[in-house]
Amino acid sequence: MLIELKDVRKKYRRDKIEIPVLDGVSMSVSEGDFLALMGPSGSGKSTLLNLLAGIDQPSSGSITIGGTTISGLSERALANWRARHVGFIFQLYNLIPVLTAFENVELPLLLTNLSKKQRRDHVMTALDIVSLSDRAGHYPRQLSGGQEQRVAIARAIVTDPTLLLADEPTGDLDAKSGDEVLTLLQRLNHEFRKTIIMVTHDPHAAGRASHVYHLEKGTFVAA
Amino acid sequence: MKFLILILKSARRSKRRTVLTIMSVALAVFLFAALRAVLDGFNAATEGSSSTRIVTIRSTSLIFAMPTSHANGIRNTAGVQDLTWANWFGGIYKDPQNFFAQFAIEPESYLRMYPEIILPPDQKQAFLDDRTGCIVGEGLANRFGWKIGDRIVLQVGIPTYGTQDFDFTIRGIYKPGGSAVDNQSMMFNWKYADERSIEKGQVGWYVVKIDSPDHAPQISAAIDQQFANTPYETKTDTEKQFQSSFASMFGNLNLLLGSIALAVVVSTLFVAANTMAMSVRERTTEIAVMRTLGFPSGWIFFFIAGEGLLISIVGGVLGALLAWAIVDGEKLGISGGFAPVFAVSPVNAAVGVGISAIIGVIAGTIPAAMASRLKIVDALRRVA
Repeated sequence: MLIELKDVRKKYRRDKIEIPVLDGVSMSVSEGDFLALMGPSGSGKSTLLNLLAGIDQPSSGSITIGGTTISGLSERALANWRARHVGFIFQLYNLIPVLTAFENVELPLLLTNLSKKQRRDHVMTALDIVSLSDRAGHYPRQLSGGQEQRVAIARAIVTDPTLLLADEPTGDLDAKSGDEVLTLLQRLNHEFRKTIIMVTHDPHAAGRASHVYHLEKGTFVAA
Repeated sequence: MKFLILILKSARRSKRRTVLTIMSVALAVFLFAALRAVLDGFNAATEGSSSTRIVTIRSTSLIFAMPTSHANGIRNTAGVQDLTWANWFGGIYKDPQNFFAQFAIEPESYLRMYPEIILPPDQKQAFLDDRTGCIVGEGLANRFGWKIGDRIVLQVGIPTYGTQDFDFTIRGIYKPGGSAVDNQSMMFNWKYADERSIEKGQVGWYVVKIDSPDHAPQISAAIDQQFANTPYETKTDTEKQFQSSFASMFGNLNLLLGSIALAVVVSTLFVAANTMAMSVRERTTEIAVMRTLGFPSGWIFFFIAGEGLLISIVGGVLGALLAWAIVDGEKLGISGGFAPVFAVSPVNAAVGVGISAIIGVIAGTIPAAMASRLKIVDALRRVA
């Protein structure tokens, strides 16, 4: 198994009140899976994604990804682990506006020891996969929403991560652009054997995944 | 290098804000360097003073004159080796804005007293031979394009010299040989001024050469003692004290100018810090995204602090260059006489840039710490 979650709980504190968000979640994900996480707002699906990405820590339980138990890592070690193993796709793309598409995709590679030429080759390969190599010099404001999301996907895959995590990747796109992004994710899954976990509200988007998990009030429920 | 490009791109995010911040830092450094230059000018004039020269003025104030009859008494004081005198003339060359210092001097003894006034022998002789001749500093000559043989006319500025204009012929252009002498003054024969003076035989101050710096207090006391309880009581000080007391006529310059410089630097620090904090607040999502991509918090700190430092240093270099190019008492025509020769020295410019770096570090540190401590999930949730 690539991912193992054991009895993961997450509580947030608001003032003096504890709010349970995940309530003993356990799951296993095989390498090469394309998983959709569905559920109503507040069900805990984004929290689960954040825990898998290593940008948040569980209150209890363990998360093991690729043999590393990330729930026990320090912040510094987690940052290092994220850089090597996780590609994250945001709903609002979150490209850096002052950087070109090329520079945005290159950003994660700045953390590696690759030479300038090697970085360039990697970036152009990633942009080629998302069919945007001709837009390398464009700034985010010069791209459509769909193109921005494809650049964000290129940024997520440029380091060849173990795991791709997508938080409502089509949530801010029109139907056509959303469809293109989903097709791209499917291609990354089928062609490049990328393990993908995608949070979505959209049943049509979830239909592209190989498995669909439903969360409600912090626990998995049958579909 | 790859990170410097990131910092540069970030600094260009809001060009107007960056330019305004750079300008505020540049202005602070400019003012700092300019104020320091003026202070250094006063200090250099004081430090360059001779320790074997003492100056006698009226005990009431420098602006009141004394009779030439004092010269004999001073000359006969034990320990006195030489003596000369001078008056402030205060004439106007064409327009009051063309201010420069003019001194009516006793030529032979004055040039003997001040070997720092470097004049070729033929020019010196021509000056001594011409009652209406004058010598001018090379800076002053450059300022007005004067050359030897030129005739200049000064209107009377102080009523004691009558109402008739004074004609002069430039007989020499001197170079200063030390900071006790500037190159922005004009000197002419005291007799020429005295013969037109309403009250004859008046001297502004005596300059006395003494046998040893160690005897300065005793000789000064002896001179002043001679004229005690007369209508023209005197006050004698070393040339250094004389320079210092002149500077102190403007108040405590070190404190005054130092306070202004400090206030400017501190207010600029607040401006820069606020700008950086604003910039970081606007970039909360981007910082969270970079952290998600794996950038460690230390690097985020480095990016933000580096950006503050870069903006500040650019402003500092700009301000120092502007100060170096503009702040020059001679070029501006405000040096000369008792006003010191001043210009921005490389040291002052470097200190100005150093201060800009300190502003940058302090202004960038707090926002950088804020950014590096940002919790990724909270930052992403803030915009989601």
